[in-house]
This record gives sequence, structure tokens and C-alpha cells, in this order.
Amino acid sequence: MIEVRGVHKSYGNTKALDGFSLVAEGGDLVGLVGPNGAGKTTLIKILATLVRADAGEIRVAGLDVGHEPSAVRQMTGYLPEVAGIYQEMRVAEFLGFFADAFHLRGTRKKEAVDAALAASGLVPLRARYVEELSLGQKQRLLLAKTTLHSPKVLLLDEPTTGLDPMARLQFRQELRSWQSRDKVILISSHILSDLEEVCTQVVFIADGRNPAKLEPSSDPGKGPQLFCDLEVISDPRAAKQFAESFPGTRAVEARGAQLVVAVDGGKEAAAALLSHLIQSGVKLVRFDPRAQTLEELYRDTFGGSRS
Amino acid sequence: MNPIIRKELHLHMRMRRGWWLLGLYLFALCGTVTLVYYNSAMNARRGNPVGAVVGTNVFHTVVLTQLVVLLFLAPVFSAGSLTIEKEQRTLAGLLTSLLSPFEIWWGKYAASLLYLGLLLFSSLPILSVAVVLGGIGPLEVLAAFGVTALLLASICSIGLYFSSFFRRSVHSTALTYGLLLATHILSFVAFAFLEPSLAEAGFSWKKMPLLLNTFSCMMSVLGIEDFGWKWIWLASLLSFAALGVTASLLASRNLRRSEG
Repeated sequence: MIEVRGVHKSYGNTKALDGFSLVAEGGDLVGLVGPNGAGKTTLIKILATLVRADAGEIRVAGLDVGHEPSAVRQMTGYLPEVAGIYQEMRVAEFLGFFADAFHLRGTRKKEAVDAALAASGLVPLRARYVEELSLGQKQRLLLAKTTLHSPKVLLLDEPTTGLDPMARLQFRQELRSWQSRDKVILISSHILSDLEEVCTQVVFIADGRNPAKLEPSSDPGKGPQLFCDLEVISDPRAAKQFAESFPGTRAVEARGAQLVVAVDGGKEAAAALLSHLIQSGVKLVRFDPRAQTLEELYRDTFGGSRS
Repeated sequence: MNPIIRKELHLHMRMRRGWWLLGLYLFALCGTVTLVYYNSAMNARRGNPVGAVVGTNVFHTVVLTQLVVLLFLAPVFSAGSLTIEKEQRTLAGLLTSLLSPFEIWWGKYAASLLYLGLLLFSSLPILSVAVVLGGIGPLEVLAAFGVTALLLASICSIGLYFSSFFRRSVHSTALTYGLLLATHILSFVAFAFLEPSLAEAGFSWKKMPLLLNTFSCMMSVLGIEDFGWKWIWLASLLSFAALGVTASLLASRNLRRSEG
């Protein structure tokens, strides 16, 4: 449903996108991850028809974004990074305005507004002024507005920034609900733990290109590389040295008595590393093998080790 | 109905400012009528004519005062209408809806013009005082209203163009006021320099600066002064119409550019 192949976009001499590609199908919840200035917002704006690409093939639901922008808008819901909201309107009135803007009329409009209010849990607040809502409620209202016309593709740019943990939890639940309806959701965020929890696919972007790709929910038993969380009560520096002396192992992070080491070879290798550490005299209180987290992969890809 | 027109009018009339402005506007016009009437009545005691002359004086003064006030308000409603969407970051929501750039432009334009139209028509009872006093017929009232509306339509279109061009309301509003002031002041300066030649009958290129002066247009329509060329009001209206159409096309193009 989203096909981006070799997209290029420059602002003057600055290349925002430099041959980036991405493919997502119905039911995919794709996390777009990269440092600031990597090209995430530009890509989302191109898909939302707000910015025209210089080159490349960009299709949404089979429609060419450059040639059929109006049809693409019918298929997409776009939530910008800093989304404005009409503070002086009432909640239901705000949704009604956008229902009109998406050419929903009569009973279709009423049904769409009622459904959006129900899905976002804003029914009791429908007569309130938008300015009276909390940040989390406003974000839910904006998502309700974004999904009002039942788009097939949702483009969400940093949607959880500034939300408290409870609001983020509700937001993730809403995303799952949309994902279960066979929509494609492209979400850009710096909150990697949120993406790790909900995304079916994470795509990295750096300098407008594709540096790496990850399936974050892989089974720890199947992966060739495992990450082991260690906690020691002996000398942590010595423990780190012993761990790194084991073949195929490297220390990823060291914080006081806690270590994270990467070991190649799956569970067998992790068991061998545990034996090696015990035999070396390292006193362990915790040894927990797991898959690599998105944050670790991000650090691997973009640098910034904390060891 | 265009949803932007409905939204803008709802929000205008929901805010206290909308009603205060209307009240102040009518108060200013009533004050003007009272002053002119008092002044004309005092002149009458000194032996000057009354009746039709008083009515005509009241009518001319109210129409010109109304034009000044509405010209002062037009940039407030038009030059800030698109920039406020940019400042509030709500323009992206409109541009990614199914509203075309023209519909967005038209919604903003019609909404600003309709509010000014409300002010204009609310002054009708005050102007009818002049009709009651005599010397003025309904046709003259209609002509004054029509010309005021056309001039405002053009000024709103120019304000909206600046609003589509700039990112901040303060810049677009300042430039619209600046342009209005510059054209009026320059045309008056030109008028002062070229006054002897303005007495020449018929069209002269020296009269061109007056074409972009709303007051010379209105004075010509009201029959106060025709600057030696009876069609100057029509040429002036056509000039403003051309400016308005050009500004609207450029504003739509700017919105299309923001879109893609």
C-alpha cells in the first residue's frame, strides 16, 4: 500500500532524501527511525502530498502521489509533527468541520463523527471547547480527525511527543486497533520503546538513505546474535574483560555492576559464555539472554555507545 | 456551503470581539451623523439652506467615514486569515483534506468579506436618516454601498495575497496597511503636484495616480468631485478589480505551492 522507491528531495543544496526506499503492505505498522534531519518528516510530507519529490517512484494504495494528489488524500490520514488545532471550537464541531472538509455529508458525516468520538473515547467531551482538553485528549482528538474519513494509510509524524505514559499507552492501543483493520500505519518517533512494542517493521533512515532494517519482535532463540544482561557482585571491569575474552563476544554497555554483552551463536553460545564467566571466577547475580533492543540497534547503526 | 466560511463566521461571531467591533463601528457612525447634523443645523441658523443640503452632507460624510473605518478593518480580517493558519500550524490539515487550494482561498476570502459586509449593511439604518432628511435617493445609497463593497473586495483580495505569501500575520498585515497608505498618500501627493492639470477635461495620464485612491473613486461616485473626467470612478473601479483578480490568482498559486 505504500511504495517508495529511490526518492530524492533537495531543499536548495541540502539533500533531505537521497534514494530512500520503503515498502509496506496492509496491516503493517512501520516505524520510521532516524536521527534529527534524517529525512523522516520530508518523507511523510511527500506521502501526505504536502511536498513534491524531485525524483523517485512514490505510490500510496497504488496511486501516484505526484499525479493524483487528491485521490491520495482520500486514502491517507496525516498527523503532522506539530499539529495545530482550533482551540475555540467544540470537540464535535472540530470533527464536523473536518468531515465537511473530507466531503462527508448528511448521515455519513454524523456517523463518521460519532464513530471517531467513540473510538477516541471523547464522547463525554463532545460539547467541550478544544482548549479545555488535556494534551493527551487533544492528541486523541487529532488522531480521531486523522482517521475520520477512514483512510487506508495513516502517516503519523512524532505523534507521542509530549504525552504522559498513560496517554502513550492509550495511543498504542488505538494504533493496534487501526492495525487490526488492515490499515498501513507509518509512524515516525524518537521514543523507540513505543515503536518496539507496536511496530511490525522498523525502517531506519539516515541522511535520506536506508542504512539498515530490523524485525524487532524476533525470537531470542532463533537469532544468531543474543544480548545478555549481566549483573555482577565481583569487579565489573574484570567481568567485562573475561566476557570479551570469550570468542564471538563483545561488551555493548557497562554501567556500574551491570553489563550488556553481545554474543554470536544463539542460546548455545550464551550458555557457553555463562560457564566461561563462572569458571573465570566472576560472581553473577543475573544472566539474562534476549534479543537486541531497538535502542541497541539504533546505537549500533548511528553510533553513540554508552560503554 | 464551504466549511471554511461556516467555521470562520462561527468563530468570529462567537468571540466577544466580533460584537464589540460591530457596536463600536455603529457608535462611530452615529457620532458622525450627530456631529454633521449639529454642524448643518448651526449653519442653518446663520441663514444657510437646510433640508436636502443637510441630508446630502450627512450622507457624504457617513459614506466616507464608513469607507475609512472599513478600509482600516479590511486588512485585519484578510491579511491575517491564512497566516493565522500557518501560525497555529493548522494549514497542513486543510491542505491534506479534500479542499482544493481555491476552496481554501475562497473560504477565507468570502469569510473576511462577509464580516465586513455585515458591518456595511448594519449601517443601512444610519444612512436611511440621510434619505429621510432629503436630497438623497435610494439609488445613490445603493451606488455608495456597491462601490464600497467592490473596493473592500479588492482590498481583501490584496490582504489575502500577502497572507498567502508571508508566514506571520504581523508581516502580512503591516504590508497590506503599508500598501494602502502608500497608494493613498502617493496619489494625494500626486494630486497636489498635478492639481492645475487636473482641471483639464477628459482623460489624462496625470490622473492615473487617482485611479488607485479609494476616496477619489468614492468622491466621484458621490458627485463631490469628478477631477475633470466623469468616468474616473469607472476606471478606478476597473483598476481595483484588476488588482483584486491578480491578487486572488497569485494567492491561489501560493497555496498550491504550499501544497506541493
